[in-house]
Amino acid sequence: MKRIRLFFFIALLGGTSIYAQNRQLLYDFYEIPQSLMVNPGVKTSEKWHTGIPFISGLAFQGGTSGVTVNDLFANDGIDFTTKVRERVLDAMSHRDDFSTTSQIDGFNVGFRSGNRPDDYYSFGVYGETDIIVYWPKDLAILGFEGNGGANIGRNFDLGDVSLRGEMVNVFHFGINRKISNTLTVGGRAKLYSSVFQFQSINNSGSFRTTQGQDNIYVSTITADMQLRSAGAKEILDILFDDTRSARKELPPLFAKRVLLGGNLGLGFDAGFSYNLNLQTTITASVLDVGFIYQSKDVQNYTLRGSASTEGITVFLPEDINNVNNDLWQDLVDDIEESIPYEENQESYISLRPVKAYGSIRYDFGAGGLGFDNCGCAVNGRGGSNSDFYPNSLGGQLYMIKRPRGIQAALTGFYQRRFGRTLSLKGTYTIDKYSFTNVGLGLNLQAGPINFYVLADNLLSYRNIANSHYASLQFGFNIISWNGN
Amino acid sequence: MKRFLLCPLIGAILFGMLLSCSEEQDFTQFDDLSITPTVASGIFYLESDEETINNVPAGPFYDQTVNFDAFNEEFVAERLLEGTITYEIENTTSKRLEVTIEFLDEGGNVLDTEFFDIDPNLPETYTREVTYGPTGKSLNILAATDGLRISGNNQSDTTSVSPDSEPKVILRSAAEFLFRLK
Repeated sequence: MKRIRLFFFIALLGGTSIYAQNRQLLYDFYEIPQSLMVNPGVKTSEKWHTGIPFISGLAFQGGTSGVTVNDLFANDGIDFTTKVRERVLDAMSHRDDFSTTSQIDGFNVGFRSGNRPDDYYSFGVYGETDIIVYWPKDLAILGFEGNGGANIGRNFDLGDVSLRGEMVNVFHFGINRKISNTLTVGGRAKLYSSVFQFQSINNSGSFRTTQGQDNIYVSTITADMQLRSAGAKEILDILFDDTRSARKELPPLFAKRVLLGGNLGLGFDAGFSYNLNLQTTITASVLDVGFIYQSKDVQNYTLRGSASTEGITVFLPEDINNVNNDLWQDLVDDIEESIPYEENQESYISLRPVKAYGSIRYDFGAGGLGFDNCGCAVNGRGGSNSDFYPNSLGGQLYMIKRPRGIQAALTGFYQRRFGRTLSLKGTYTIDKYSFTNVGLGLNLQAGPINFYVLADNLLSYRNIANSHYASLQFGFNIISWNGN
Repeated sequence: MKRFLLCPLIGAILFGMLLSCSEEQDFTQFDDLSITPTVASGIFYLESDEETINNVPAGPFYDQTVNFDAFNEEFVAERLLEGTITYEIENTTSKRLEVTIEFLDEGGNVLDTEFFDIDPNLPETYTREVTYGPTGKSLNILAATDGLRISGNNQSDTTSVSPDSEPKVILRSAAEFLFRLK
């Protein structure tokens, strides 16, 4: 038990400094049953598999496209404020982000249909947390430098505020069907049970101080901003209320929401694998096309309107009889009325971050790998191509819909299989986070026990604090290649 | 043989992941972060035409006390470092004018006074910058200010008329202050 705890602790530690939802190492790594989770149409060979609960699939990713921990906190003798100014304020744009994703398989089971051996069914539950916060550049500069001095005349874009996050539990059931010797397709239905969700996206507006028409300065603000949240208020109430016990109240609240007691949603995945010829395979998948209807524990905040002020203004003779001495307070009240901050509890629909993968793989090399004797019902016989080729070379494309548009990543990979026992996959990925992302994956099959570990951006491990991107995935499964 | 190769490989990967290197980090540096924005805003604008000045007996043509606790707010008062209040005056009337701005505390006591003696038909805008902080007046004046009393006095007659097409007296004021947020 102590070892398991240590394992979790180490895994969590490893996940604290890392990014993104791209699982390029797992994608099309069909020796690993969890590859069905990133392409329900991946080739499947096993008779059945069952993941060891809670450790069949753990993935922790996170990172930053801008400043790193080392950039700011390295013990280099440079003044910290100078580092913040030069490496954050001057260097980062509103497209840079901080993000983290983690996914934990509750359980994951798959089995081949007795009546239709071409069908492989899989189902399970996993929890996912995904948070992305874009760098609010203009607001940061406004806070750091203010609207005065050199910033007179500068337009501060309030639309720089963009963030989204959620914790969701996913119940899923998928079907993988071998249509022919060249085509395998798959789909997966998903039922989302949201623990919490928040988003502040599609904001717009500006704040600007310029030379006034009458007075020295005029400050103008226009805003159309909102923050939506569901499930967060109750959690925050428990956390920040000294009279309540988070230790006692949070676990049952989370348990209830994880088990369909929170806001619910629906979604699906789809994918395919197609052999262009004996040695070339193309694949593609689309994941998390879905939504969650957020109707419980909803708390939304809005700031909409426009206001402009040059301070207290008195025009004579028009204001000669205005002897009100609350002119300053009236001014403040007018501004607050023109651009009201409001709260509401209106339900809303949150869309899941849709992901898409595509790949092309070329298999080559000589030597049977032993799959032909595996006894599996479908792909062990009938000439499935790559079973006979120990090497694979190819490329993958990954895209994800983010609040500021689609993020893409391009991966080149080489995979080497050493019989049925061992398979290694190396990747090189370029995306907005890194141009030096080299990853390595290992799948080990020791009898029925399957273990895999996939690690990204290995070069960054030389100085993990200076990493823009890293990820770690691993898991244990039991796989049967025959009827036993 | 395979196991012989695999065990070290797995061990190496896990070892690499778990014991990856990191340069020495000093997170206490955050305490040294200094955030001192400069905030600018218009404060008060007064405009009067010559006819209005002529329509009342010589002497005060405007006298108003207004609440002004922008600097008095606890959050602001505690963080004020230094700054400047800028006054601009235009006078195209034929009058010699006096404009007085008094900074009042909560009890109505005068904390500070800015006095302007304005010549008639000023050829250009008169500007005065009043500095507060280490090199100027005490910031306590602003921190205690709860109201402003603005008064305008006509030191000339009530019959003369400026040749200017739209004779006016204008008082502009704005503040630009440095705050310490952290």
